[in-house]
Amino acid sequence: MSSYRISTAGQQSAAIAQMLQQQALIAKTQQQVSSGVRVQTPADDPVAESRILSIQNAQSQLDQYGKNADAATDRLNQGEQALADLATLLQRIQELAEQANSGAMDDTSLNSIATELKSHVSDLQQIANRQDSNGEYLFAGYSTGTQPFAGSGGGMTYVGDQGVRQLQIGASQTVADGIPGQQVFMDIPQGNGTFTVTAGSNSGTGVIGVQQVVDAAQWNAAVAANAAATPPLANQYTIRFTDPDGDGTADSWELLDANGNPVMDNGTPPAAVTGTYTDGGSISFDGIQFTLSGQPAAGDTFQVQPAGTESMFQTLNDLITALGNGNGTPQLQTQLGTALNKALSQLDNGLNNAINLRTEVGARLSSLDTASSLRDDLNAQLTTSLSNTQDVDMAQAIGQLNQQMLGLQAAQAAYTRIGQLSLFDYLR
Amino acid sequence: MADMLNVALSGLRAFQTALNTTSNNISNASTPGYSRERVDLSAQPGQGVAGLTVGAGVSVAGISRYSDDLLSAQMRSASSSYSRLDAYADKAGDLNNLFSDSTTGLTASLQDFTNALQSVANTPADTSARQTLLSQAGGLVTRLQSYQAQLDQTDADVNDQLRADATSISSIAQNIAQLNQQIAVATGSGNTPNDLLDARDQQLANLAALVDTSVVKQDDGSVNVFIGKGQPLVVGGQASQVVAQTDQFIPNRVTLAFQSSSGTMDITSSLSGGSVGGLLDFRSEMLDPERNELGRIAVALTDVTNAQHQAGQDLYGDMGGAFFAVGGVEVLGGKGNTGSATLSATRTDTGQLTAADYILRYDGSNWQVQRTDTGAAVAYTVGSGGALQFDGLSVAVSGSAQAGDQFMVQPTSGAIDGMQVLITDPSRIAAAAPIRTAAASGNTGTATISDGEVLDAGNAALRSPVTIEFDGAGNWQALDSTNAVLASGAYAAGGNIDVNGWRVQVSGQPAAGDSFTVSSNVGGTGDNRNALKLAAVLNQGVLTGGSESLDAAANRLVSTVGVATNQANTNRDAQKIIYDDSSSAVDSLSGVNLDEEAADMLRYQQAYQAAAQMISTAQTLFETILSAVNS
Repeated sequence: MSSYRISTAGQQSAAIAQMLQQQALIAKTQQQVSSGVRVQTPADDPVAESRILSIQNAQSQLDQYGKNADAATDRLNQGEQALADLATLLQRIQELAEQANSGAMDDTSLNSIATELKSHVSDLQQIANRQDSNGEYLFAGYSTGTQPFAGSGGGMTYVGDQGVRQLQIGASQTVADGIPGQQVFMDIPQGNGTFTVTAGSNSGTGVIGVQQVVDAAQWNAAVAANAAATPPLANQYTIRFTDPDGDGTADSWELLDANGNPVMDNGTPPAAVTGTYTDGGSISFDGIQFTLSGQPAAGDTFQVQPAGTESMFQTLNDLITALGNGNGTPQLQTQLGTALNKALSQLDNGLNNAINLRTEVGARLSSLDTASSLRDDLNAQLTTSLSNTQDVDMAQAIGQLNQQMLGLQAAQAAYTRIGQLSLFDYLR
Repeated sequence: MADMLNVALSGLRAFQTALNTTSNNISNASTPGYSRERVDLSAQPGQGVAGLTVGAGVSVAGISRYSDDLLSAQMRSASSSYSRLDAYADKAGDLNNLFSDSTTGLTASLQDFTNALQSVANTPADTSARQTLLSQAGGLVTRLQSYQAQLDQTDADVNDQLRADATSISSIAQNIAQLNQQIAVATGSGNTPNDLLDARDQQLANLAALVDTSVVKQDDGSVNVFIGKGQPLVVGGQASQVVAQTDQFIPNRVTLAFQSSSGTMDITSSLSGGSVGGLLDFRSEMLDPERNELGRIAVALTDVTNAQHQAGQDLYGDMGGAFFAVGGVEVLGGKGNTGSATLSATRTDTGQLTAADYILRYDGSNWQVQRTDTGAAVAYTVGSGGALQFDGLSVAVSGSAQAGDQFMVQPTSGAIDGMQVLITDPSRIAAAAPIRTAAASGNTGTATISDGEVLDAGNAALRSPVTIEFDGAGNWQALDSTNAVLASGAYAAGGNIDVNGWRVQVSGQPAAGDSFTVSSNVGGTGDNRNALKLAAVLNQGVLTGGSESLDAAANRLVSTVGVATNQANTNRDAQKIIYDDSSSAVDSLSGVNLDEEAADMLRYQQAYQAAAQMISTAQTLFETILSAVNS
């Protein structure tokens, strides 16, 4: 092959094109070095760009989850504080009730206890209607713009709802940021939570004592049987004291169902359920048992029914009413004793409820902590990935820049040297 | 003596011509398109005298140029390919730059919108969070519209360049025709018009950079030039024109037509190569799909946001309204339609929408549907009222079409232009669910009720109070406020209870007489359930049959542009090497090398000096004779 001819203009323009190309490469590398970012446009590395977008998205999402978690933490802390205040208040009320129950109390001291309790009613209302820093009611469910507890005294009603707001704190993790007021203040289980005993308008001095479940299954079966009966029978039993031997002391009792009919046992033939009473003894049927002290009169009744719920306001109001009635007569003394026993048990239930809820809030806060550190870990990982995907390897880029600059310098030197060569220079 | 003088004189003349030619070569060393020339010398035959033939000197047979038609054709072809890729890569780079900032891109805007929804979910009653959501929604729409505007601008740039290219093609064609005439005349009179040939080669190369051509040389020295599918742009001294005209469907789109004495014909689809080919390919391969895809994302965003928003409840206690508005399907009638038919199209299923446009043709008895991007026929079903249904669209025809009538249907390209945020009052953001559930406070069982979800936001009784009661025999019944039974069934823990357009689940063990209520959530200003659902649907698969989320689609949009641009740049760079090779091959043959010319100059100068010396010698000889005679 013959040697390749090169035109003078072609040689020059090729040399210039090469220098221009070197300069373009240098500009690109310089941009990468000065910005620290390798992928300047999607075309630089489409796969990396797609990944960068995903990572940035994930980080922005994490950031938002962090804000959500902050909001949840804030509200839960305020809720926890309210529950702590509630527990303190309930403990004070308990002390007062116990003081009233200690005997040796006259009407005046009972009245002064009642007066203090009345001030605690408004304290309780204030806790129940507490607002968070955004002006939202803490214990209102979804209806955070409406004061959730309205009314007065025992007739306090909950006008909030049972909604629980969830905040998203992770891709598939949510946390509830509050507790509906119904659970905190209204739905306090009565008695032992299984059944309650209440005294009728009795003339005797029978005071209800310890109530306990002996055989829960038996009680539940009896309750279910009533419901399944045709027509269904309400779950309400009445214990009526009788004086079968006519000695003037009501030392026997009989058990009546909701319709006033005697309850029959499972014997053959079935016999009516009855019992004899001794002061301080217990009455038991259908797997439950309670003690009674004092002396009921014939015809006195005690109602037994499955435990429902009672509001704290009701409990407090009943207590204040009972204290206000004083203990002037043996009958009033009995009623006060019964009322104090009941109130103490309800306050205990309310306090336990508040403590349980506080524990739950604590658990949520700790899960927020866990989620937060998980987010931090993930974020650190994403930052590393982003840096690996997007950022320039400085050592490499600067090395490359040096190499390219060297190349340009060489091209320039060669151009000036070769450009000077011309045969015409020798023709003189 | 006289012979010697004549011979030397012929040498003087010949070398003077050669030096002139060398001088011309040197002068044109940097002239684009110049082909170096050489003097063709030939010895003049002498006349035989007494058996001896002494040469009669030298003559200039001609001045020819160094050129090779094959090399030139190769260079034109390489130039056509390179110009096409260069124009394509250039425009692709515009789109690429449009999507270059990942922190302010569509993906980021979508995420900002989702984050703002989450912030509303944190404090649903807080007006400032709601206001932020509205401004992020506005920002999202603005982002989409600015993309659309820049795509439209790119489209307009393509139109302008096509117009300019059409003008250039026509004027180059005119130049070639004129050069053809002059060359034919010169050739006919036996001359070799080197400069004209160079000029024509240069024009042909310029034309090739605009559009792919085929050049056929004629005996008279002229060339015929064809473009597209054999359209004769130049025949001898006659040139036709390429003109820019408006697309038959899309009013703001330029197409190219071939205009000759026999009429005007649209040749857009048959043009390839050159910058025209590159622009047309860019428009159909990148610009249109990207714009449609962007529109498709906007449609899907509007669709899912509105559906979920309308299933929620705002701060006034009203059901949520539409959140975004989006432009409809565009139907464009062909210019040549003769029938009275008008078409109107609506979107029926976002998940089925494609990023393609469609041409609907009436053949006299049936409609045919064709995708514009692939050219594939699309099967359709005929729905109620004769509407054509395909790919998530329903096209209703009114009036009567004539055979040959055609319409273009663009499902998404106009969506973003009509996009806006319809909610202006922050309190109108439906962050809450419209229903709430509650267990009656006297319940003795352990059963709980779920929050409930809305199945049919349009149900008139959706928010009417309903009580679900359980009996002791394991059955439930749903009662309205007048105690009329709406529904009933056997209780299954966790089973769905669907009434009045909502669904709840009761789980656990309900006791006889236990009841639950489902009621209106009016007043539920702290409820964030719908805001959370809105945030969630934005991350769910809604496009492409439900397999692709908005986020993923936005991401794909960017990476598609990146891949296409990267590919275009790589192709361009590869073709550049081929083009450079072919042009340096031409250059190698035709270009002027000054060293070579210097050598030639020396050579011819020496020869010229030698010839002059011969004349001097002849004179000396002549004087020798004369003095001999005189003495």
